[in-house]
Amino acid sequence: MQPGHFPANILFILIFVAANGFFVFTAYKLYRILRLGKPEDRFDRRSERLKSVVTFVLGQRRVIREPAGWGHFFIFWGFVIISIGSLETFGVGIYHGFAYWKFLGKGLTSLLYLLQDLFCAAVVVALCVALYRRFVVKPERLRYEDQKAVNQDACIIIGLILLLIVLLFGARAAEYLLAQGEAGRYFPRLAFVSVAFSSLFTGLTKEGLQAWYSFCWWGHTVVILGFLIYIPFSKHLHLLGAIPNVFFRRLSSVGELSKMDLEDETAETYGVSRIEEFSWKQLLDLYACTECGRCSDNCPATLTGKPLSPKLTIHHLKEHLQAKGKMVLAQQGAEEAATANPEGELARALIGDICQHDELWSCTTCGNCIENCPVFIEHIDKYVDMRRYLVLMESNFSPEVQNVMRNWETNSNPWGLGFATRGDWAKGLPVKTLAEDSQVEYLYYVGCAGSFDERAKKISSALVTLLNEAGVSFGILGAEEKCCGETARRLGNEYLFQSMATELVEIINSYGVKKIITACPHGYNCLKNEYPQFGANWEVYHHSEFLATLLKGGQLQPQQGMDKNLVFHDSCYLGRYNDLYEEPRTVLNSILGLKFSEMDRSRNKAFCCGAGGGRMWMEETLGDQKINDARTGQALQLEPDIIGVSCPFCTTMFEDGLKTFDMDEKVKVYDIAEILAQAVTSAKE
Amino acid sequence: MAQGVCVITEFREGKFRRVSFEIASEGRKLADALGEPLLAVALGEGVEAVASDLGGYGVEKVIVVDDALLKDYRAETYVPVVAEILQNLSPKVILTAASVDGKDLSARLAARLGAGLATDCTELQIEGGGLKAKRPMYAGKAFAWCEWSDGAWPQVASCRPNVMDCLAPDTSKKAEVEKVEVALPAGNLTQVVSIEKDAGGKLDLTEAEVIVSGGRGMKGPENFAMLEELAGILGGTVGASRSAVDSGWRPHADQVGQTGKVVTPNLYVACGISGAIQHLAGMSSSKYIVAVNKDPEAPIFSKADYGIVGDLFEFLPAFIEEVKTLKSTC
Amino acid sequence: MNIVVLVKQVPDTETKIKIGADGKSIDTSEVKWIINPYDEYAVEAALRLQDSVGASVTILSMGPERTVESIRTALAMGADTGVLVDDQATEGSDALGKAKVLAAALKSLEFDLVFCGHRAVDDDENQVGIMVAELAGIPHLGLAISVEVADGKVTIQRPIEGAKVTMEATLPALVTFGGAHAVWNPRYASLPGIMKAKKKPLETKMLADLGLSAADVGNEAVKVSVTSMELPSERQAGRVLEGDTAEKARELTRLLREEAKVI
Ligand SMILES: Cc1cc2nc3c(=O)[nH]c(=O)nc-3n(C[C@H](O)[C@H](O)[C@H](O)COP(=O)(O)OP(=O)(O)OC[C@H]3O[C@@H](n4cnc5c(N)ncnc54)[C@H](O)[C@@H]3O)c2cc1C
Ligand code: SF4
Ligand code: SF4
Repeated sequence: MQPGHFPANILFILIFVAANGFFVFTAYKLYRILRLGKPEDRFDRRSERLKSVVTFVLGQRRVIREPAGWGHFFIFWGFVIISIGSLETFGVGIYHGFAYWKFLGKGLTSLLYLLQDLFCAAVVVALCVALYRRFVVKPERLRYEDQKAVNQDACIIIGLILLLIVLLFGARAAEYLLAQGEAGRYFPRLAFVSVAFSSLFTGLTKEGLQAWYSFCWWGHTVVILGFLIYIPFSKHLHLLGAIPNVFFRRLSSVGELSKMDLEDETAETYGVSRIEEFSWKQLLDLYACTECGRCSDNCPATLTGKPLSPKLTIHHLKEHLQAKGKMVLAQQGAEEAATANPEGELARALIGDICQHDELWSCTTCGNCIENCPVFIEHIDKYVDMRRYLVLMESNFSPEVQNVMRNWETNSNPWGLGFATRGDWAKGLPVKTLAEDSQVEYLYYVGCAGSFDERAKKISSALVTLLNEAGVSFGILGAEEKCCGETARRLGNEYLFQSMATELVEIINSYGVKKIITACPHGYNCLKNEYPQFGANWEVYHHSEFLATLLKGGQLQPQQGMDKNLVFHDSCYLGRYNDLYEEPRTVLNSILGLKFSEMDRSRNKAFCCGAGGGRMWMEETLGDQKINDARTGQALQLEPDIIGVSCPFCTTMFEDGLKTFDMDEKVKVYDIAEILAQAVTSAKE
Repeated sequence: MAQGVCVITEFREGKFRRVSFEIASEGRKLADALGEPLLAVALGEGVEAVASDLGGYGVEKVIVVDDALLKDYRAETYVPVVAEILQNLSPKVILTAASVDGKDLSARLAARLGAGLATDCTELQIEGGGLKAKRPMYAGKAFAWCEWSDGAWPQVASCRPNVMDCLAPDTSKKAEVEKVEVALPAGNLTQVVSIEKDAGGKLDLTEAEVIVSGGRGMKGPENFAMLEELAGILGGTVGASRSAVDSGWRPHADQVGQTGKVVTPNLYVACGISGAIQHLAGMSSSKYIVAVNKDPEAPIFSKADYGIVGDLFEFLPAFIEEVKTLKSTC
Repeated sequence: MNIVVLVKQVPDTETKIKIGADGKSIDTSEVKWIINPYDEYAVEAALRLQDSVGASVTILSMGPERTVESIRTALAMGADTGVLVDDQATEGSDALGKAKVLAAALKSLEFDLVFCGHRAVDDDENQVGIMVAELAGIPHLGLAISVEVADGKVTIQRPIEGAKVTMEATLPALVTFGGAHAVWNPRYASLPGIMKAKKKPLETKMLADLGLSAADVGNEAVKVSVTSMELPSERQAGRVLEGDTAEKARELTRLLREEAKVI
């Protein structure tokens, strides 16, 4: 059965068409399953999207952030190069005389062959490393409950690739020897690995070589086509899912939540309680997962033993989607099927069976999972969508959450303190309200903590000092200010959030405000990235960026140095959500003598303080440690005098953590505004 | 023509309740101001034997209905009887106790007699020949002075227990007792099915009128015994801050605050608690707040009605002694 | 089984109380209105019976137009219908006047049980519910922290010092509710509940519809009224007691006894 000769070529074509046909058939089914999802527009800004594909697929930018990612880099590119080689192999299968050098010339072909050899060799090395990691090192991040099946899958994939490469080298080695001295055949010597392999075949006759060649060629071809068939059923589904997922990735800010249509009278249900209620893009995420485990490796909930692991969530959702999707497509009337077979996949509840309640409520929306996912999977809105269902449809949440929601409803702050006292913190301070003077340039949006919490009020007054010192024209809303509703939204209460947002937009716009400063990263993110959904059109600044600008412009000049050790903690909602990593550091660097050190998990990998996503208002009883204690412990390892923060909630979380370690007397938590205010004013006194 | 002041006493288990003496004393004051007699109505099983004692508090005459059917308060027996007596007496002013039963009785009487009722009064005066009553509203955040419309007799006021001064009884004085026999309606519309003593268990925080809470300043679980003692004397229960709970000193059920219990007792005593907003969110609606903390800057003081700056380990024992003394004298 | 729940709209408990220009009522310009918390417990109790024995729940309220909002809130929680008595002539009514209006409104409704809070947290009167029971000639069980219905009887529990009393009454009866938020945990309206509430029947009635005239209730019929209001002697939060330990202990005890009257 010599490849490319009759009747072998007919056989090959049949196999090839069958395998591809099967692949297309399964891929189409996957596509149809995706289409069960809800519509979502991800077709805007296409050139930007293409650029992402170049950077993150071809360039593997996110993958190689981690050392293990380099292995993937080689496997990926090896695969691409091998695929180019495979085309030639397939060509030969149809007609034995097919060869690249006939089109490309010998020089280019030599180069291509060399590359192929090099990458194939690199792939072999990378695969061995992968095997070593999986079976010897066994990192936590590769752990799944169905470990056997997952390992089996990995072994099949790795084995197939190894086999494929060995067979490729075999075929090439034989071909090299056959090409020697035969007119009309050519094999570049530059492919030195293949050439080296040929030493295995020395001494064989031409027929012998021919037989080996045929054997390796067929073996290689069958493995490749087998691979093609196997992909959609394996974790290498990501080969299909990842590229479109990078293309369709979210270009707006991380974790931006969609605006629900609450006016729609025909809506029967809100939020997501069935997998097909996710959008197609949210479902595509599931296909794209590489099961690399980086998300969970950085997830504060996972790392403190909460019943939440983003990697497992995605894995479970994927399995459920595939199992349920097929059944839904196969039989109309899914509901009856569910009642007919109460054990079946259709009868399994998304919330309760596939995802657990505690899992959904454990997420702090810190964004570490999304930030670290090589294929831009968006975990947060899945949790929030399911929370939306629980809150809006079932009012199913803990009593503390109900308490805080009522407090927002009646007094527009989470503690339920009288709304009329919201502006009282500013009594006696040199601050005007917009009602007194609406001609000011900036609105200082104080937020709930800055208005009501004794601790955070100190941050507010420090900021007031700084703004006055720099001669900024600003005012506050005072008692007219309302909560921005950010946390209500993240807790899934979109209804409450929308009414709060609409109200606040109206108040702020009634003063013709154009620019806003705030010291709360949550309010900042919400006003800046989510309020435009409600017709807001403002420039919004977090005090860290605003103060950094004032320092650069010389409007603020810190005089007094500070001989202290400081550890800085990045707020998730500033860093990962809004890319403000340098600005708070600029502020701290302006202070003479302040030595600051960075924790291992800092900047885009910063570990959450535990307050986000509404966790600030819930008791933390699950897991083996409180998230804020874990983070405080990380900071304490650097033996600081001060923990520097830029968020009132982080402040509380660290102060609380310090109490746990009985270190609250020795280590203090300060907001960057407090530190700067001290440096700016203390020299004057 | 309406005449005199009449107090409706509460008699349970062979004794007048203390509040009956309080309203009798208050009634005396009002009767003097009006220059009119002070009468009383006493219902109960065995009340006849002690009815004349009310004289010690200035009551001139007691109308007594003594019957086994009147052992417990029940609207269907008490209300018609008292209403009938009052219609005959036709007093200007009627005083009742703002106890659980007294509230039911007074509201029903007022409805039956078509009278105006001021509940839970803390101060009563006679002005212009009629009653003027002060009562708290908005959970004590405001006080209202109530007056009755011209000719709207009788004027009914229920008095908050433990507030009005109680005269020292003049045991030499006895009130005239007038026993009336009435056919009691055999009421069975409401019934006490059972009374279950709380199984020695702790009074739930959300039901307690007095809460004594401890925080990290308590230094250890053993010191909560002091708080237990204080709470015991005050008829309250013990709460804790989250720090105290996290340290394992108290169970989570004791946690007061944002993520614990939201409580609104009449009195909240915070010992060694700094007053983080998460804690305040759970107790700032308490009627009165006492803070004991050695740090004068602690935010709890900004919410406290009475602040004690000092070491709680010195202060609490002294305070417990004081409260004990107070409780033993009344 | 039909349950009518009497619901009053009151200022939120966190409202800063300011005395209005007339000197005898509060300034309501900055008030956030809520359902009286104890009435909300009553609504919750009724809805639990709706769930368990299929009771139908009617919300009955009197007050100005804004009261509709509170009724809708109760409907969103799950009540079936609402009735509002909104008549200018009821303004200025004392408790008895209000009770007359509510009792008259009850007559036009079918009910086995009437539920309401034991008091409204604005006037703190503790009497309207009981007066309604008296006017309707039905028994009253007060301060319930739990409620059950069976065999033509309603059974409640009421906490007393150191014990819980279980009491029962024959139907029809009126139950007033006590307890605290944590005892009842009134349900949080779901979004579909809120949507449906917009379409649930809510009838507005005038005095004439109830067979009453202005002379029966309202200003003309008032027996007792507030003639002036005062704020408690400015409770300065942040007051720190002076003296040595013994003096402080003595002074605190005295203040708690005489000024605060809480021990
Ligand atoms: C998500 C979240 C939820 C939370 N929920 C709650 C909650 O529900 N309830 C709650 O209480 N907290 C809650 N907290 C914690 C809150 O932020 C505070 O950390 C906590 O209330 C502090 O408790 P504390 O006052 O006992 O301790 P500290 O703040 O350490 O205060 C101890 C105080 O004791 C004083 N003291 C020490 N020794 C003495 C002495 N000998 N005599 C007198 N005074 C002394 C000190 O001056 C100090 O003020 C929550 C925090 C988070 C992050
Ligand atoms: S957002 Fe943060 S807490 Fe939530 S799953 Fe992702 S990493 Fe975990
Ligand atoms: S979601 Fe992303 S980071 Fe997590 S396992 Fe899948 S591919 Fe990796």
